[in-house]
Amino acid sequence: MATAATTAVSVEERGGSRLSAAALIGPATFIVAAGLLIPIVILFRYSLNKFVPRLMMVDALTIESYVKFFTDAFYLGVFFTTVKVAMICTIACLIMGFPLAYALARTRTRYKNILIMLVVLPLFVGNAVRAAGWMTLFGSKGMINAGLVGFGLVDVPVQMMFTEGAVIVGIIAVNLPFMVLTLQSVIESIDRAVEEAAFSLGADPWHMFWRVLWPLALPGIVAGIILTFILGMNAYATPVLLGGPEFKMMAPLVFGQMQLGNWPFGAAVSFILMTTTLVLTVIAGLSLHKRYRR
Amino acid sequence: MRGALAIDSRKLGRWALLTAATLAMLYILAPLISVTWLSFYEQEIPSFPPEGYSLRWYKLITGNARFVDGLLLSVQLGVSATAIGLFVGVPAALCLSRFRFPGRETLNNLLLLPLMVPGVVLGTALYVFHVEAEIATGGRFAILGSTLGLLSGHVLVVIPWVVRLVLASLAGFDRTLEEAAQNLGADRWTTFRRITLPGILPGVVAGAMFGFVASFGNLEMSLFLVGPGRTTLPIAILQYLEWKIDPSIAAVSVVQIVLIGTAMLVTDRFVKISRVV
Repeated sequence: MATAATTAVSVEERGGSRLSAAALIGPATFIVAAGLLIPIVILFRYSLNKFVPRLMMVDALTIESYVKFFTDAFYLGVFFTTVKVAMICTIACLIMGFPLAYALARTRTRYKNILIMLVVLPLFVGNAVRAAGWMTLFGSKGMINAGLVGFGLVDVPVQMMFTEGAVIVGIIAVNLPFMVLTLQSVIESIDRAVEEAAFSLGADPWHMFWRVLWPLALPGIVAGIILTFILGMNAYATPVLLGGPEFKMMAPLVFGQMQLGNWPFGAAVSFILMTTTLVLTVIAGLSLHKRYRR
Repeated sequence: MRGALAIDSRKLGRWALLTAATLAMLYILAPLISVTWLSFYEQEIPSFPPEGYSLRWYKLITGNARFVDGLLLSVQLGVSATAIGLFVGVPAALCLSRFRFPGRETLNNLLLLPLMVPGVVLGTALYVFHVEAEIATGGRFAILGSTLGLLSGHVLVVIPWVVRLVLASLAGFDRTLEEAAQNLGADRWTTFRRITLPGILPGVVAGAMFGFVASFGNLEMSLFLVGPGRTTLPIAILQYLEWKIDPSIAAVSVVQIVLIGTAMLVTDRFVKISRVV
């Protein structure tokens, strides 16, 4: 009798808890599902529509926009420029980010929190503000050119604004904090004793790094590479401001097409951007994992 | 002899490491330093070295309606989006940490998804969604370019931060405290208010701060959603920079840097930033 009563209560409680679980997570799930998943489905549907210059968009089921993208030399050029820039920036972020991440992870100063905040702050002030900083440095009368001319290294100011190099420098600065933070958290989880063990067995710092630290930090390295690559592929403000109107990457292309009113093509480019990013990310993750699996 | 050599190579390695780390740090901070410097130039043309220094560009900011309006809209959006994000995000995190049910992992990933989708894709998707919503309602409501449409996008950006950071602090929360409270006769709401909420407050504060900053600084998505003649602060800055760079825009940038830096310092008093990012 008592057992039956307890069972009845617990069943009732389970029913109640299911209800309260749904009440707790329901609103947030609804907002994200309705506000993100449905729009992405509609976006895909739009990319299969037809664009007729004066009618704007006509309902259709065609892959015309995708074919147009992959057969036009201009758009293919934009595509490969974007992939190239993202790759260069990712490699540079890894090389520049590792020492800083290691120093931050292993430092014993009381100012560690301040140092971390200095890495996070630029990340939060926005890409446009940081581009403004680079514009100040890169201008024909900017700080770098003033220095170069002042020291007599060049006679006329070097054209730095509106070049691919400027965009790459800008995107590296944007993505570097992400790489540093990702690497720092994984290095912190590696026991310092393994480094000491390598040293006491006679390894020099380079071998310790290459044979001990690198393999142990690999999950974080892969995560950092993936994150910075995604950000590089999708950069918007930096190529617009530092690359100028002639320099085109994928994200500004999407915005431009949508603004021109060519919704099907804009939607298609948006989808190509998202898919390429995902596919390359998965390949990078898999191949790195395979190579270093022991 | 060999030992001395080994110690030397470690010392060398340490120096190389510190040099590389310092250079990387300077590289990250360089644009912020140079834009701050520019904001104090005397003359309007950004030629280096400056003819002198002055504070006049800061005085001019308040007279520029575009930036003042942009700042106001960004703050309003950030505050409202963060409030809504907390209102739905904190319960969702509670649910994810307290209940075991099929599809839990999927729901967790779904709630973090807005952080993974690139800003431009998010912007285009919401744009076409608003177009379709306007068609579906027969054009009776202006959705495209409306403040409500913009706000709904910003809520999407805030939710993942709240869920992620509240979940993290729930993981370290001792549940026996809640059971003790309930054994002593507290109902669920009282338990949440008096026991759980104070316990996870650092996570909630961090979630609110990161959510606010993500909304405040959002550029790509907002570009698609703002109505004609209205801009958020990041869009106002971008559009001005597309035209030219001068000390007045630098001063506006510095205001944004100071605002966000202050928000971070305040948050750091509640929860160590180095532990949540």
